Amino acid sequence: MTDEGVADPFAGYELGAAYDEMIAAGGKPRAHYRPLHDRLRGLDSDDLRRRKAMTDLSMRQDGVGFTVYRAEEGIERVWPMDPVPRIIPANEWRQIEAGLVQRVTAINLFLWDVYHDQRILRDGVVPPWLVLQGGFFRREFVGVNVPRRIYVHICGTDLIRDADGRYLVLEDNARTPSGVSYMLQNRKVLKRVFPALFNDYDVLPNDDYPAALLDVLQYIAPATSSQPTAVLLSPGIYNSAYFEHSFLAQRMGIELVEGRDLFIDNNRVFMRTTRGPRQVDVIYRRIDDDFLDPLTFRSDSALGVPGLVNAYRAGTVALANSIGTGIADDKGIYPFVPSMIHYYLGQDPILDNVETFRPEVPAERDHVLANLDKLVVKRVNESGGYGMLIGPASTQVQRDEFRELIRADPRDFIAQPTIQLSTHPTLVDGRLEGRHVDLRPFILCGERTIVTPGGLTRVALPKGSLVVNSSQGGGSKDTWVLADDRAT
Amino acid sequence: MLSRVADALFWMSRYLERADHVARAVNVTFQLDLDLHGVLANPVELEWNALVSLLKQPPPVQTGEHPVAAVQRWLLLDTANPASVMGCMNRARNNARSVRGSVSPQVWQELNKLHWRLTDTSLQARVADSPHDFCEEVQTGVLLFTGASEATLVHDEGWHFIQLGRYLERADKTLRIVDAKFALLERSGTVDLPISNLQWGAVLKNCAAYEAYQRLYISRVEPERVVEFLLTNADFPHSVRFCLGRVMQSLAAISGRPADRCDDDVSRVVGRLHGDLAYLDSETLEGERLHAFLGDAQARCARISQLLQQQYSLQ
Repeated sequence: MTDEGVADPFAGYELGAAYDEMIAAGGKPRAHYRPLHDRLRGLDSDDLRRRKAMTDLSMRQDGVGFTVYRAEEGIERVWPMDPVPRIIPANEWRQIEAGLVQRVTAINLFLWDVYHDQRILRDGVVPPWLVLQGGFFRREFVGVNVPRRIYVHICGTDLIRDADGRYLVLEDNARTPSGVSYMLQNRKVLKRVFPALFNDYDVLPNDDYPAALLDVLQYIAPATSSQPTAVLLSPGIYNSAYFEHSFLAQRMGIELVEGRDLFIDNNRVFMRTTRGPRQVDVIYRRIDDDFLDPLTFRSDSALGVPGLVNAYRAGTVALANSIGTGIADDKGIYPFVPSMIHYYLGQDPILDNVETFRPEVPAERDHVLANLDKLVVKRVNESGGYGMLIGPASTQVQRDEFRELIRADPRDFIAQPTIQLSTHPTLVDGRLEGRHVDLRPFILCGERTIVTPGGLTRVALPKGSLVVNSSQGGGSKDTWVLADDRAT
Repeated sequence: MLSRVADALFWMSRYLERADHVARAVNVTFQLDLDLHGVLANPVELEWNALVSLLKQPPPVQTGEHPVAAVQRWLLLDTANPASVMGCMNRARNNARSVRGSVSPQVWQELNKLHWRLTDTSLQARVADSPHDFCEEVQTGVLLFTGASEATLVHDEGWHFIQLGRYLERADKTLRIVDAKFALLERSGTVDLPISNLQWGAVLKNCAAYEAYQRLYISRVEPERVVEFLLTNADFPHSVRFCLGRVMQSLAAISGRPADRCDDDVSRVVGRLHGDLAYLDSETLEGERLHAFLGDAQARCARISQLLQQQYSLQ
């Protein structure tokens, strides 16, 4: 700090090769960020540090923890939130929203198709073996009718921006995506610690998500129940997303249950209550397919409910998401989503995929193996930032290991160019520095398909890191969608 | 409500009440120790050992540690001791976490904030000097939790399970404190009046009852009156009779019947013990008969917990 006044927290802000959300080439803020930029420049480093400390305290007091599987002691870590919000102008959001609705609509049509007629496979648009041998394809579910023909009710699609600022879909999380509670929590905390920031903008509220989710759950309930009972099925307090499970259950006013709270009688699902058994009509399950029912899937699962799959098949209970959606977010299927959009909807995709190489195609395999130091290699069935190779940051030993793995089982991998995710000014010790971010909007499919304005912006906190996953040192930001295009 | 949720609410509340009692007992003993230091040969031996035996959790001996410091650390901080304040806090918080959707945000936050205050390393380090600040923090935190549950929870079934946990634990602890003090004074023989005053005053303070007693009796701290007050007073929230009255009310609310029409197993045991306390003969408050009564009452409290768990399929 100098005697003349406040030191500029943006002093020395570095622009790299990546697209910066706030600062354009040349160092000027983009139009929609100007009021925020001006306000931040008026704050000194002590003030910024204090806001960060208040943010941390709020998160800790609310118990916004997550669990890291590999840590043995002190199972909780508090989810770090950065108090500088990310802003999305209305026109950009309209594109994103339309693109996401289009994409998840095609995915639901695809799922219905592969579990019924398999037209898309017979027409050769998607290679049949890729689906039928996919780790997440549930052959047990071929021919089963799911309520309202919706497979994916809750989707959390990951978007990134390339060096030109173009939004690209990185992956479709169509199984049990998490993060929506952090989206809501971030807004709540930011309003508490930085209310002045909201004065300069018309920000669309995101608070309706739990109510909209409850609408979806009630919409898919079996027709026999006029007052359907919905529950949220969680693996329990040791699950990394437990905070979210309890948060959503509370906001919807439904019971948070664990597998041991439920049992099946005569193909119907009941929960054990202090007043005896009570029938359950809809289960928002936050347990993977594999653990859902030890009689059908993994027999060693203690988290699930024996007989649940048969009850689901019999139509006495609805599940969100449905069983078998994993085949749609299998990374080996991902390269075909644009073709699905053409095939089912006759439209061009509004949001593009990241360019993806499939080592199982011989020509592409050669390219991948020759460029391991430049590509990101991912296992098709892993998520959470596990099981991947980031070429530019890898060692020779790691590359050799992946080369062998890819040769042994090319179907198991995809490779993509290393994209410099966009950067966003982020508080680092009272100053602002660019950190890489992505965006996970949340889409709900029920009577209508809706996208909650904003989503979860995840930020890779270590300098230069491209991995935003909470389990790998990621944090998050509040994400604002502006109400109109008026430059403020 | 889910049986598992009822169970977790019960234990959340019960562990917090237990943490509160342990913190208060350590703090009271610490103050008493300072008072008795000059007048008794071996107050450490007497009072701290009595506390340890009361809590039925002897500390592991560590070389080089002052015995009093060892007892304090063991009772307050050591999570290897399930009955320590931190041991109870952790379990209360884990239970609360497992039912976060069933308590109000305020209730969860008060418990969570208390947890974070107590895990503060500088606060824990000061315990070696004086346990006072730490114990105060516990007691204040538990009061805030209680206030938050009172004011922000719907007083429905879940809330009644919270009440059951609190009042059963409190009844049991009050019985144990009175029983242990009698045993201790029997062992140590007759003592001077001022010292007896101090020691029975400590019993009252252990039950947060000192000022309430003074207001009611306006007299020296007389052992018989202390016992009478702590066991049979109808209006004091730490007396055993009061606690059992609350247990009866909550059982009735949960079963949906008037309190005098509850004839399930657990209600009958509670009702009989409550009646015994309400209509206790003054002779029962003396000597051997008191000792026998206290032992029997503790066994009946244990039986109540057991029946409660059977009746509502708690774990």
